[in-house]
Amino acid sequence: MKKALVILFAAASVVTLAAGQTAVPKAKLPVLTTSAGQSNDVNALNIVLEEADIKYDYCDVPTPEMVAAGVGLGNKQSAEGFHVESTTDLAKFPKGTPFKACLVAIGASLKGMGASGLTIDTEEARVKKLVDYCKKNKIFLVAVHVGGEAGRGPAGSDNERMIDAVAPLADFIVVTKDSNKDGRFSKIAEKGKIGFQQVDYALGLVDIVKKMFN
Amino acid sequence: MSAPESKPLAHPVRVKIVLAVLAAALTVAGGVPLFKHRHFGTPFVAGPGVTKVIKLSDYSPGLKGRFVDADVFVMEGAEPGGKALIMANTHANEPAGYLAVKILIENAVVQKGTLYIIPTINVSASRNTKAGDGYPLYYDIPTDWGRVRFRMGTRDASPLESWPDPDVYIHYPDKQLLSYLDLRNTNRTWPGRPNGPMMERVTYAAMELMRKEKIDLAFDFHGAETMFPVTNCIVAPQKSAKFATLASMMVKAMEGFDSHVEPSPQNFRGLSHREIGDFSNTLPFLLEAPIPFLDQPTGPKTVKLLLDGKDPFLLSLAKKKKLFVSYDANGWPMDKRVGQHMSTTLEIIRQFSKKTPDRAIRLSGAPKYADLVRDGVGKYFHDPAKAEPGRIHYE
Repeated sequence: MKKALVILFAAASVVTLAAGQTAVPKAKLPVLTTSAGQSNDVNALNIVLEEADIKYDYCDVPTPEMVAAGVGLGNKQSAEGFHVESTTDLAKFPKGTPFKACLVAIGASLKGMGASGLTIDTEEARVKKLVDYCKKNKIFLVAVHVGGEAGRGPAGSDNERMIDAVAPLADFIVVTKDSNKDGRFSKIAEKGKIGFQQVDYALGLVDIVKKMFN
Repeated sequence: MSAPESKPLAHPVRVKIVLAVLAAALTVAGGVPLFKHRHFGTPFVAGPGVTKVIKLSDYSPGLKGRFVDADVFVMEGAEPGGKALIMANTHANEPAGYLAVKILIENAVVQKGTLYIIPTINVSASRNTKAGDGYPLYYDIPTDWGRVRFRMGTRDASPLESWPDPDVYIHYPDKQLLSYLDLRNTNRTWPGRPNGPMMERVTYAAMELMRKEKIDLAFDFHGAETMFPVTNCIVAPQKSAKFATLASMMVKAMEGFDSHVEPSPQNFRGLSHREIGDFSNTLPFLLEAPIPFLDQPTGPKTVKLLLDGKDPFLLSLAKKKKLFVSYDANGWPMDKRVGQHMSTTLEIIRQFSKKTPDRAIRLSGAPKYADLVRDGVGKYFHDPAKAEPGRIHYE
């Protein structure tokens, strides 16, 4: 099994620069991870960072004020429908150090939004404020979509609204192949001249984030 | 004095007798198949890994001697380790999980830790049907040595075991108002009460099993419509989400099938993936495999549709992007659904074992997704004619 995993990681990490794909940009730590749409994909993103041994702060519904508070997210504690986790290395980045990068896992889940007391409208408004804050404060914004076809939908659907709120404003977009079957992300990247990478499986992101942060 | 001559019966009386006889004949003709269905059992051969078979009522006396009391197959490894509970037939019209646990019971051997398997958590629903929807009473699975016949059950327990229905079901302990039918639905009556309505007693007994045996992982196997958003997925609360996500990513990359993760909502009560986590230390996972048979806009509810999942109306809807899973002319066959349950479960167990070595569970002999898709599920059923009589259990 170990051998198979090594082969899998190797295969997943061979990222061919197919049409529309660009080199992986460099980004700086500390990094914040969060969700646009409250699907479980943010857990996948956090697991990817753990596999890559990159420490991070995480909140499912951060406000601009929390992001402004930097590492430690203003000492906010998890509660019902609100999750905070801080694994950032405080020896390197003490509490309050401003975030240099923000990774947003895009994917709408009615169950997830419901659990956080959000509707698609309030979530969209919240995400737009967050993205706006990142842009104004030069936080490197990465849009991630690993939900595949299950995380997509017809134009105007919850998932597509989340994509519209984040992807066109991102500094870099990384998606799985099955998330981009219709070329939606490639087109957004091309139109906005945004860095873009596509991987076969979510596990392929491990290599991307390693290149990005190391 | 001679007896009066008997007169012919008046016309209305004769009609009534004829109608009564007709009604009795219809009742017998309709009732006998249902009676036979209710008492039909499929042989499960306890494989080399089964160390004992106990009853759910061993954990809650309120179920003792009741029709709804369920068998629990225990598979203990030589080495102590973690413990997992696998439940199927919560909804007995979603049979992929039931077939998956039959394969586990007949083939798997546990080396480390313990597996508890309840093939039918809602016994009453598995012996009930949905006649109004034209459900078949049975379905057969071919094997190398003949066909195995299974009862096709339904979603809710029979009123014979849970009666009368209330106007609304008030969930215990949250007092959330649920549909009256949910009183008979064992995926709304968690965590249950020892002396509550019958389905609450069933779920309470399972909760007691998990608490007393210190179960680490609980799996509840389901099937969901292709038009329902929560399909082809693992439903997990926050505490289980990382293992579910790891497994989802691994089966996608290693075994080539999708099973995304859906969060368990905190405000919708009575579901296994919510209450098991909230009322015990166990990590719950509810697995949903797509089952086109349950979609409303299909052709007749035939055994063929149940087994191959091919339907022209769904195909048409898929082309219009109305389904929540990819769907083509190959349908969504039973072998694939059983394989998804099997591989996802094994992967969650593997991930949990990696992260918590002292509570690891190791087992062998269980086929995975690719095996089941290639060979068909029937390949893994054991011939009861060749089994020792004491190893056969009729489920």
